[in-house]
Amino acid sequence: MAIAERKIYEGTRVPSPIPTSLLVPEELQGSEDLLQVNFGPNHPSTHGVLRLVVDLHGETVVGLRAVVGYLHTGFEKNMEAKTWWKAITYPERIDYLSFQNNELVFVLAIEKLLGLEVPQKATWMRMCLSELNRIHSHLVWLGTAALELGAISMFWYCFRERDQILDLSEMVTGTRMHTRYFQAGGLAEDIPRGFYPDARKFVDWMPRAVDDYEALVDQNEIWLERTKGIGLLSADDAIALGQSGPVLRASGVEWDLRKAQPYLAYDEVEFNVPTYGNGDVWDRYKVHMDEMRESTRIVGQCLDRLEEMEGEPWIADDRKVVLPPREELQTSMESLIHHFKIVTEGYRVPEGEVYVTVESPRGELGCYAVSDGGPRPWRVKFRAPSFVALEATATCMSDALIADMIAIVGSLDTVMGEVDR
Amino acid sequence: MSKKRLADYGLSSERVLMKGKGPGVFEDELGELEDKLLLTTMEKAVAWAQGSSIWPDTFGLACCAIEMMSIVSARYDIARFGAEVFRSSPRQADLLIVSGRVAHKMAAPLRQIYDQMLEPKWVIAMGACASSGGMFNNYAVLQGVDKIVAVDIHVPGCPPRPEALVEGIVRLQEKIMAGVPPAYEIRGVAS
Amino acid sequence: MPGFVESREEHGEKTVVIEPARLVEACEHLRGDGFNFLSDVSAVDYLGWGERGVAGYIGTAGGRDLNRPGSQGLERLPGPKPKRFAMNYHLLAIPDGRRARVQVWLDEDEPVPSVVPVWPTADWHEREAYDLMGIRIEGHPNLTRILLEDDWEGHPLRKDYPIGGEPVRFSGEE
Repeated sequence: MAIAERKIYEGTRVPSPIPTSLLVPEELQGSEDLLQVNFGPNHPSTHGVLRLVVDLHGETVVGLRAVVGYLHTGFEKNMEAKTWWKAITYPERIDYLSFQNNELVFVLAIEKLLGLEVPQKATWMRMCLSELNRIHSHLVWLGTAALELGAISMFWYCFRERDQILDLSEMVTGTRMHTRYFQAGGLAEDIPRGFYPDARKFVDWMPRAVDDYEALVDQNEIWLERTKGIGLLSADDAIALGQSGPVLRASGVEWDLRKAQPYLAYDEVEFNVPTYGNGDVWDRYKVHMDEMRESTRIVGQCLDRLEEMEGEPWIADDRKVVLPPREELQTSMESLIHHFKIVTEGYRVPEGEVYVTVESPRGELGCYAVSDGGPRPWRVKFRAPSFVALEATATCMSDALIADMIAIVGSLDTVMGEVDR
Repeated sequence: MSKKRLADYGLSSERVLMKGKGPGVFEDELGELEDKLLLTTMEKAVAWAQGSSIWPDTFGLACCAIEMMSIVSARYDIARFGAEVFRSSPRQADLLIVSGRVAHKMAAPLRQIYDQMLEPKWVIAMGACASSGGMFNNYAVLQGVDKIVAVDIHVPGCPPRPEALVEGIVRLQEKIMAGVPPAYEIRGVAS
Repeated sequence: MPGFVESREEHGEKTVVIEPARLVEACEHLRGDGFNFLSDVSAVDYLGWGERGVAGYIGTAGGRDLNRPGSQGLERLPGPKPKRFAMNYHLLAIPDGRRARVQVWLDEDEPVPSVVPVWPTADWHEREAYDLMGIRIEGHPNLTRILLEDDWEGHPLRKDYPIGGEPVRFSGEE
């Protein structure tokens, strides 16, 4: 885990006194050349409902203030009112592009508090679906980021692969997005038989698709001009600003939670962590592309391992937490009672507080869960990587032109649902 | 006064086809609408043109926006239904697809965008959150976007499949071509 | 460690409780110790902790043996909390990988000093804690509401703030 030795720029460019917004410098305040523009919440290029209030001096951005909260949904308050079982539907919608990872972090938090052991098959399937979700998230990012910079045709290619992933998801879980497939204790249902051949077809096809994407933009003059050297963020600034995920890895810090603090079964699969040292938009793009390839490798290894585990249980056996199989409900009285109690009252999670982190496609996604020993969460807080990524906008935007703003905000890969929760 | 039913005009949603499911507010409204429908050939032509070229506005808010983006993609292509391009400027758009949960803070910009659209304009409330607040019955989310704009079509789902949204747009086309006025005229609210 | 009150470890996580007045010094000490990454700042409201009765099943580690119905699960009754609010700062040391949690206990109107000089990323996290929980942060460069409108009254995540929303109406009713 190395931190980049090479300095991209001298010192720190984090603005002060407010680290997250650029203030118009003294000499320009009140100048006639200053224009304040509002990139309102409804804008085709701001990746959702982000509002940026930008002060322009000619084409240079001299003042920047981000206003968020246009998608504040009150997730955390809602989750306090539902039982732990029912609350699992909520985290998915927080980061709606990487829904499996959100579910995963919450379910891992519940299992950590319960001390529940999850069967191997469930762990590997969770890993497989999380990596498929990572590819899905990067594909949507690539499609929309390229669309904003003018490379419109990328959108269609990326969404073609995205539909293949969602077909797999639908086959396993019953729905394309927001699957609610991970339960406390394992998976909701067994893996259907048709999954493996179709998933293998996808794994064989995907590297060629990534080659196609790179062939489309890597040599393109316009793309290179618009992404190389834009939005520089040094390693020290990135760590000080709490960046993680592709943004941190593009700044030269080799930090990936899957390797550093492995969860699920990431220490049993082989994959690389792409790290680039220049800290610009181009490097963030390269990190995303390489991560897609690495995730495909991981999915292939998961499929190999899962096929060996055919017939094993997919959920833990603790009947006080996990619903009994439906066939038993006809014959066993205890199963009926367990089912009734779990669905109506909910299972109790012992008192305690945990902070679980997961490497979501955007970075370190954390869930801080406090339980009071009852069937409802007392407090759930999600550490959203996009919330923190937006804090870095001002630093990346020092001496930037307005056209670069779109590239920079796009490269930070923000999802507003996560920012506003 | 012709007593042709809406179903005869080409509308084929279930509530219209299943007679006798009332009485309810919807059936009364249907009755009132059917009394008003009498299109001249010129109006029919205009309605056909309007319905076949509805251009939506880019108003993606949350998860439903991703499924809305995928109806533009090659598999669920809505260009074949006439919704050729998503216009970024509301002044150039006919259709506002509210896709995603509307926070109270976003309600004012939503109304402003709606006001900027030129008549005739239609609104599709896509997904559970836009139709009724969805799973978020709390202080932060507007419980249904029809509190601030007049909605023509509600598309259920969380998120609705792209095909469901395409069906919503097709039903809207049927409504327009049958001569049903946009929702703000039916409800008599400011457009 | 300046301002140290106590430390505990559970579920494999280390928590250090610090006095609010000396929080910034303690954080600088920890940053010098290698904790250069502030992962998250979470505020918790413990109003009504342990007062409502709880019901439901208790899970066990490793599953429960159905053939021995008397086997008990893990349980710990909620102990009393020192004050109403807790501010938790989750820290991470890159590249070592050590994690720690700094916990500060606050009363109703007690302010907490801002750690923005130590980790600039705390800026928006503290604004969110102020916005949703109403915790006053002293020394914050820009303490304004971030997720709610600027003229919102109240702090929604507090336990005495109602969840809001409206009662669901059914189509069959008059």
